[in-house]
Amino acid sequence: MKTALRATLLFVLTIGRISSARAQVLPSEPVSFADGHVTISGDVSAAFGTSDTGFFNYSDYEHSQLRLFRLDLASAVKLNDRVSMLAEVRTENAGPVRVYALYVRVRPWTTRAIDIQAGRVPPTFGAFTRRTYASDNLLIGYPLAYQYLTSLRADALPLNVNELIAMRGRGWLSSYSIGNPVPDNGLPIASGFRWDTGVQVHAAAADVVEATVSVTNGTLSNPLFRDDNSGKQIAGRVSVHPREALQGLIVGVSAARGPFVSATAARGAVGDGHDGEFTQTAWGADIEYSRNYYLVRAETVFSEWRVPAVGAPVIDVPLRALATYVEGRYKIMPGLYAAARVDHLGFSEVTGTGGPETWDAPVTRVEVGGGYSLLRNLLLKVSGQHNVRDGGRVTSLNLVSAQVVYWF
Amino acid sequence: MRRVLVTFVVLVVPALLLSQGPRGSAAVGGSIRGRVELRRPAAPPERRPNVADLGSPAAVRDISDRLTSVVYMEDAPKSPAVVPGHVVLDQRDERFVPHVLAVTTGTVVDFPNSDRIFHNVFSLSKTRPFDLGRYAAGRSKAVTFDRPGIVRVFCDIHSHMNAFILVFNHPFFALTDMDGRYRIDNVPPGTYNLVAWNEGVSSGPQAVVVPEGGEAELDFALR
Repeated sequence: MKTALRATLLFVLTIGRISSARAQVLPSEPVSFADGHVTISGDVSAAFGTSDTGFFNYSDYEHSQLRLFRLDLASAVKLNDRVSMLAEVRTENAGPVRVYALYVRVRPWTTRAIDIQAGRVPPTFGAFTRRTYASDNLLIGYPLAYQYLTSLRADALPLNVNELIAMRGRGWLSSYSIGNPVPDNGLPIASGFRWDTGVQVHAAAADVVEATVSVTNGTLSNPLFRDDNSGKQIAGRVSVHPREALQGLIVGVSAARGPFVSATAARGAVGDGHDGEFTQTAWGADIEYSRNYYLVRAETVFSEWRVPAVGAPVIDVPLRALATYVEGRYKIMPGLYAAARVDHLGFSEVTGTGGPETWDAPVTRVEVGGGYSLLRNLLLKVSGQHNVRDGGRVTSLNLVSAQVVYWF
Repeated sequence: MRRVLVTFVVLVVPALLLSQGPRGSAAVGGSIRGRVELRRPAAPPERRPNVADLGSPAAVRDISDRLTSVVYMEDAPKSPAVVPGHVVLDQRDERFVPHVLAVTTGTVVDFPNSDRIFHNVFSLSKTRPFDLGRYAAGRSKAVTFDRPGIVRVFCDIHSHMNAFILVFNHPFFALTDMDGRYRIDNVPPGTYNLVAWNEGVSSGPQAVVVPEGGEAELDFALR
């Protein structure tokens, strides 16, 4: 955490010094060379907030989205009219640099809007997954569906329902007796912070309808570079952007299904040959409408996971979760906006020795904040969060945070 | 006869004085012409790498607009008031057209959306901050520019879209053509400092002497 604070302070001081001295020296457009064939852009954000003792905003055991310094560098190399290479590297809290995206994009017919992408590709499912950059996010926190850690893990499994219930509200560090014995963070419904690896096909018709399908190694909640079981995830999304009177409306539906339990954990639970049976299946719907100075979005994600029934009392499968958020932004004056998000994540019930209980603790979050653009590409955000959870060590927590965002 | 004389003094004399040039002299206005050479033209606008997009975006690559420069007088003489008008800065194919506008104070700039998608024109320039919000194809919104200065215009949805509006409180400026040539007419005779501007880069002021009724020549080299 000290590293995060140091990196954040350094970034804020640097930005502050540059913006007060000669703001115009900051690049505001991507760097391009080789006659436009190579383009590089960057996103830098530094957030600092009050201590999240309830782990409401953690995306793994070490990284809270409210205390995070993040640097992204993205590049596109256009080899010819049909083939491009796209990549993005990221570092968080001045830690190791990770390859976040790396894929080749092929457009077989230059006159048709059909693209094939292969490698570590952008998420097919949902709407928020592709706008997780701080410059795209209206607030500082993330929607629960894409960030909040449930107690489920892909590499460790509960022996029975009591073990599962014992981990309610402890997704930031859960542990089970089957599979990996080391305590580690659980999985979100859909990861907003890792991309999956596979092949993706995208087609658009008349700028009105877009459709995407993909086959990848991991799952929504556990995207992977190398597969850890014998199955693949299939995901699809269709979105519609009506014209004329309904311009400004975007409606999308998504679905995904794939085995999420690692082969090692599945073997530990039920022996060899069953790792393809323990799947995550998800459906999503999203809507966005914008006009004049306001923007409203809503998204809901429903997921069910199948885990092995090992010991009694057995887990009633599938385990279900439903997350829904509504967010909005209103521009008050040039450069200044206000935003809010209301978010809820609920879980289905299982029956343990102590009676029926949701398998994880439901969470509700209300976040209110706003942003002020010091420059077009230098944004200062502030927000306040109220989190309520029906279980865990901390059941209610108010958090305040600020974030500086710079991009080129 | 007396009435005719009074009418002549009240109406005709001021009109004649005004028509004789900004300094009230009897001199005939001259011209300044020349060329702005761009040694290294500004790079064309590129989209940010669309790593998170599910497909290819439309291509936006057009260098022509970035060759347009503006030449203006730094110390302009007094001139008759210019009647401000309406000019158009269109949004077409995810570009502002033209990329550079030069107008006098009081000019109303219309921002029609000629694309099939939403745009959101805005500027955070101190000269004239504004935000027109999101509006659809076929609609237009307008902004009046009352103060001199440089206004950088962007689209809040498409980060590669940008334009410049240079606002002057005098009429002594000109945009260059594709070859970099410019011409400023009706300049009262005298010595002036001229500046050439291109994509946020300005030359230092250069002196030029405009002869009465004649033509002065001044070239610039930028970047």
